[in-house]
Amino acid sequence: MFEIGKKGTPETSSRPESSPARTESSAPRSSGGMSREAAVIGPSIHIDGDVRGEEDLLIDGEVSGTVQLKNNSLTVGPNGKVRADVYAHSIYVDGHLEGDLYGSERVNIRKSATVRGNITSPRVSLEDGAKFKGSIEMDPQAAQNVVSRAVAKSAPAPVAAKPIAPQPVKSEAPAVKTGLVS
Amino acid sequence: MAVDARRASGGPHAAPGAIALEPLNAPLFHTLMQRLAAGGRWVVLDLGAAHSATIGSFSRFRCRLDIVDLATGLDALNGEVDARRIRQHAESLLPQRRSESTDIVLCWDLINYMNQPALAAFMECVALRCKRGALAHGLVYYSAREMPERPSTFVPVDDQHIAQHDVVPRARPAPRYTPEDLARCMPRYGVERGRLLRNGMQEFLFRL
Repeated sequence: MFEIGKKGTPETSSRPESSPARTESSAPRSSGGMSREAAVIGPSIHIDGDVRGEEDLLIDGEVSGTVQLKNNSLTVGPNGKVRADVYAHSIYVDGHLEGDLYGSERVNIRKSATVRGNITSPRVSLEDGAKFKGSIEMDPQAAQNVVSRAVAKSAPAPVAAKPIAPQPVKSEAPAVKTGLVS
Repeated sequence: MAVDARRASGGPHAAPGAIALEPLNAPLFHTLMQRLAAGGRWVVLDLGAAHSATIGSFSRFRCRLDIVDLATGLDALNGEVDARRIRQHAESLLPQRRSESTDIVLCWDLINYMNQPALAAFMECVALRCKRGALAHGLVYYSAREMPERPSTFVPVDDQHIAQHDVVPRARPAPRYTPEDLARCMPRYGVERGRLLRNGMQEFLFRL
């Protein structure tokens, strides 16, 4: 069973004893200034597929696919390994990330991070020491347009209006919605 | 765009003992920044490593910054002998070609760290991503017979000055490419202007 959706503060959950305590600045921030706990994908969790949710998320495990947190923040922790295109309100990276990052508010690449991909966001910060290879869109207008298009494109298809016949369940990569699985 | 520029002692490839040198007056870099300040949207290809100061500098302009971090691929590039494979490897180090071509190329000191076949192949691949009239800025070890063993990290201090960080103490012979060498290896790049800097490096502004 996935541990995704398990609640816990980033300071105490899913972190080995030897790791340094997480600082306030490295915790996920929720949108709108609300203070709330983040969902955590712990170091032993591997997910292949799409991760969608409406709460902040800390990834300290491995995720391949896409991550969509349209109105919330994603933090890739120091142990996190993400191979995915990421759509989020704010994105903070301490670990490894390979994919394109679309942050409608900001993207922050911290000094311990290794990122390969393209960043599109109205606010981008990169701390010295971080390894980055890719493009940074610094034109606010272009960034806004690209993020809007990317978020719209990545949104799930609308539900069909007419009844549809039951379909056999396919064993494809799971679409995981944060907060639903406990 | 808002960018936090936090300065740390070492860049992503800083070696033990690496030091930072005093900022240099770089008049041709200033020319480049003046061109950017004229307005419009720009695509900048930075062959160096990502650095907060570079991102901070270019965030003032409407631009896309493509960061290559070429230093990480230099050994493999220089190690190839077959021309076709050199070209393939050079392509793999660069961002994919897009509909929007490059206006500005920041070569920093990386020209010095490619042998002539690698330099020719790599800069040809860069040229294919550039608009006609694009500008390329580069620094060539010219007076000194030796240069740091590994590429340094050059970062803008302001529109007129650049600083050399992560200078490794061990040295190796500098190729001391002459304008004729560069013209042979980079036939698409005409030397717009050249200036000898205080530290003995030749600063070049090329036009494609």
